[in-house]
Amino acid sequence: MLGDSVKAQEVFHTTLREAALRAAHGELPNEPFWLFRDAHWRCLEATKTDLQAEPLEMEEQEITIAAGSQIERLESKQLAIWISAAPEPQRTALALFYLDEFDYREIADLAELKLSELSRLLALGRRQFQAWLDATLPTRPTI
Amino acid sequence: MKTPGLSRRQRALANCAPINEERIRDRSMRAAVFRARSSSEFENQQSFDRALATLVRAIPIPPETAEWFSGKDLISPSKWTWKKAARNPVVLAIGIALAVIAGVFVFHFVGSLNDFPGSGTARKLLNIAGSTRSVILDPVNADAGTLSDLFFLKHGLEHYDVPAEFADFRTIGCRVFEDDESQRIAQIWVVEKRMQFFLFPAERNVKTGAVLKFQGWRYVHQEGWVGAVTERNGACFMVALRGREKDLTPYLAKAKQ
Repeated sequence: MLGDSVKAQEVFHTTLREAALRAAHGELPNEPFWLFRDAHWRCLEATKTDLQAEPLEMEEQEITIAAGSQIERLESKQLAIWISAAPEPQRTALALFYLDEFDYREIADLAELKLSELSRLLALGRRQFQAWLDATLPTRPTI
Repeated sequence: MKTPGLSRRQRALANCAPINEERIRDRSMRAAVFRARSSSEFENQQSFDRALATLVRAIPIPPETAEWFSGKDLISPSKWTWKKAARNPVVLAIGIALAVIAGVFVFHFVGSLNDFPGSGTARKLLNIAGSTRSVILDPVNADAGTLSDLFFLKHGLEHYDVPAEFADFRTIGCRVFEDDESQRIAQIWVVEKRMQFFLFPAERNVKTGAVLKFQGWRYVHQEGWVGAVTERNGACFMVALRGREKDLTPYLAKAKQ
């Protein structure tokens, strides 16, 4: 979400500290994803004052069969930076989806999106990432 | 995704298809994935998603953060103590219920220790003794021992004899009645401490019909009344009074002598 491990750690610790305090006062909400919602909100707050990328038209490419091998050549940090640079709410949708911990309804609930919006954002993200992959890591010519 | 044959909603669902198919929890998603699976586009999407998820899992977690996920509990569970357990309303309720059940069992067990053939009838007669008014008896002013002849001659009750130790007690009245099991009962009211005597058939073995004998005097208690029962010649005699065992003991001691 943040593309910055120091900021991510700060958000993580603040979220857990707050949760511990609320638990100590017996004020934990009944809602199942309140901790993730809280962490999400803190992530958005943490990037509010950051320099924002200029909105620009990103290229799109259909996903190819070679995408898997292209991604294998990537470093995890590159992916983190790419996702963190995505505009909201696409960033949240991609981050939550690729964490592979939630189903689509939970992601839609956490990101406050409709199914159609979540679907569009994920599909768009895939095509944009494929275009970025093609530009950054062109597929090796086969002999 | 432009897979033909998928509805708009199914296309939307297929775009959100979980990376791990085991995570599919609803029927509509399962149906959408099932239908989309035949297209190469969906296959590419799935391998793309799997590769990205693998990369996400490879993101290193700083040691300071990883510490939070160590095997240690963040909040140590409070120690279990008997005091705490006893204050738990559920434990308390179960404890009370068990105590009541145990009490009932003990009560029945102790009661059964004192049981003897005819004790059930004797208890019922103690209830009758408690509710009897003298006006319902035929007034008879005689020695209790002389009523055996009356019971035999008038009612055909054999061996309904008052034991010799109680035979000299002066009577106020007597009657013969049938209980709820159609047994014929003789009831005598005497002046002495307003005691009541009951004569009733001894209990018999259901199969053989033999009288179930027992030795000496046996006590029964019912709602403030105490009775002492003995069996002779197939008939039981019970002396009953309102009070405790110690009120009857002197008469029975005389009887033994």
